[in-house]
Amino acid sequence: MTQATMTARERVLRTLKGEKVTPVPCFSGVGNVTTKGLEKLGYRFADLHNNAQMMAEAAMTTWELFGYECVVIPFDLCMEAEALGCVMNPYAETQELLYPTIKEKSKLTTEQLRQAATPELLQRGRIPLVIEAARIVREKVGDQVAIGSYVLGPFTLGGQISELETLLKGSLKKPDDMIDYLDAMADVIVLVGNHLLRNGIDYISVREMGATSDVLSPRVFKKVIFPALKKVADNLASPNILHICGSVLPVIDMMAECGYSALSIDSKTPMKEAREKVGERTVILGNFNPFATLNTGTAEDAYNVAAQCVRDGVNGVHPGCDIWPTAKPENLEAMIRAVRETSV
Amino acid sequence: MALDSAKKSELLKKLEQGVVEFEDDEVRDAAQEWVDSGEDTYDAIFDGLVAGMEEVGRLFSAQEYFVPEMLMAADSLYIGLDILKPHMVARDSGVKGTVVIGTVQGDVHDIGKNIVKMMFDVAGFNVYDLGRDVALEDFLKKQLETNSDIVCLSAMMTTTMMGMPKVIEMIKEKNPNCRIMIGGAPITDDIVGKFGADATAKDASNALEEAVKMVVSLREIQKEANAKN
Ligand code: B12
Repeated sequence: MTQATMTARERVLRTLKGEKVTPVPCFSGVGNVTTKGLEKLGYRFADLHNNAQMMAEAAMTTWELFGYECVVIPFDLCMEAEALGCVMNPYAETQELLYPTIKEKSKLTTEQLRQAATPELLQRGRIPLVIEAARIVREKVGDQVAIGSYVLGPFTLGGQISELETLLKGSLKKPDDMIDYLDAMADVIVLVGNHLLRNGIDYISVREMGATSDVLSPRVFKKVIFPALKKVADNLASPNILHICGSVLPVIDMMAECGYSALSIDSKTPMKEAREKVGERTVILGNFNPFATLNTGTAEDAYNVAAQCVRDGVNGVHPGCDIWPTAKPENLEAMIRAVRETSV
Repeated sequence: MALDSAKKSELLKKLEQGVVEFEDDEVRDAAQEWVDSGEDTYDAIFDGLVAGMEEVGRLFSAQEYFVPEMLMAADSLYIGLDILKPHMVARDSGVKGTVVIGTVQGDVHDIGKNIVKMMFDVAGFNVYDLGRDVALEDFLKKQLETNSDIVCLSAMMTTTMMGMPKVIEMIKEKNPNCRIMIGGAPITDDIVGKFGADATAKDASNALEEAVKMVVSLREIQKEANAKN
């Protein structure tokens, strides 16, 4: 099959396998619903999180409206935490668009996490709902476009179900306990991630933003974070992406060593230097600042930023974080056009 | 029993080093020894604990320390502060104020806010911490209840940041003299003006610097007060 006739789904999945695709795909492994898409459907952001049909329809809009090459569900970071007994706040009553948060933390211990890591977990919280949403998306898009989802990394998920501050301190004070805790968390993540990949999700991102080098030293990353991230990579089905926002240049070699199908980096990590450190073999997705590029900048800025990502040698043009719903349609269009015109 | 100057500088060193290296026991012992001597604890707080935190701030800016190190040092500092503060002779400096602080509704990013809060605690401010994901009206309620001099709002997201002007408007309407400081990654000087706030401190190191500046001004006023005696 020639490149020209490849579907968006094939372009993304081949890229994640390490094949060269031209032009490189322009897609995301994290949230990308837009206000424009919500307006088209007449839906409120707060209502999407607990309704599979609405979640599916909303997730497809960025693909339908702009040709963005993915459909990603869900939109918040609470799914696994809820399955682990936390309570999420969707801000159903507020007029402003707010991202859901955890309002009650279950604070499971290492022991309790080990006990929780059974298939029964997969029926809890919104895990079945997200899978139902994936089914609805597939029915509509068929093989045209890849369906992505994500799980949090061990440390970041720990921060959702417990206090992140306690974990941060624990990483210095009691590294061995923390290593054990994250090891238990890794099992939960693998369980959930593989379940998603077996039930309609085409690729999955592991989001470990809590362990970015803006927050944690490379030394602690190596000792405490790396073993758990590696365990996830070793046991999670492919294709999978390790996504860490913020600056990760000091740890990118360790991220590569974990063995994920691809790495995804933020604009705070310079692409050329990242490439120099990990070489050609690692698939790198990146690395534009979604808010500055799509929300505050002009369409011309968006074009230039995306073109620069391509020139810097990314294997896929990918945002450093969730695309903010208020992204300007003309900027999204310019970004996608830039990728097509630059990556030849 | 008064402390001689050699002992004093030994204890100050211990407090300072204790914070920098987060040696809780070291800090606790030195603080207790100082208190047992019956001496005013003001110097122990500012030349010991705060000097240590200043060094931690420097190491943080230099990327030798990261967030966990900062949080650990803060814990050590609080251990010392809890022992020393009750024995500090109140200075009639006029700087000591009351602050209401919190992270605005919809935002759970509170690590930065907690670090800022610590600085106010150290400077001897009366701090009311509302926590994170704070309903916008709650800032006004607390301000009115405490008649605080300053309200500090933190937001780490461009969406939640939009709650700030609403809080500012509510407070300024009821209490035009209340000063409002806003901060967090998306806040720029531009936004401070647009939102009608009074000030900001940009990032980790700038927030620290601002706090340190406050402490320094405290010290100066203290020196003046001492000179008069
Ligand atoms: C840790 C983290 C989390 C943790 C938060 C845990 C916690 N208890 O705080 C978790 C995993 C829960 C999280 C969740 C999310 N996050 Co987050 N997170 C971060 C991260 C990696 C670090 C933030 C941090 O703690 N920095 C360290 C502290 C010390 O720095 P600081 O907060 O800036 O504070 C300093 C200064 O700003 C200043 N300051 C702060 N407050 C104040 C107040 C005053 C008055 C003053 C003067 C100064 C001041 O002084 C502080 C001390 O030095 C940042 C990315 C980054 N690298 O910064 C993203 C980031 C903030 N998150 C982001 C996003 C998008 C999210 C989510 C929406 C993701 C999602 N899809 O759900 C959710 C939001 C949940 C919610 N509704 O709140 C985005 C925000 C984008 C934007 N422009 O709006 C960021 C910037 C990541 C990115 N690259 O895009 N996140």
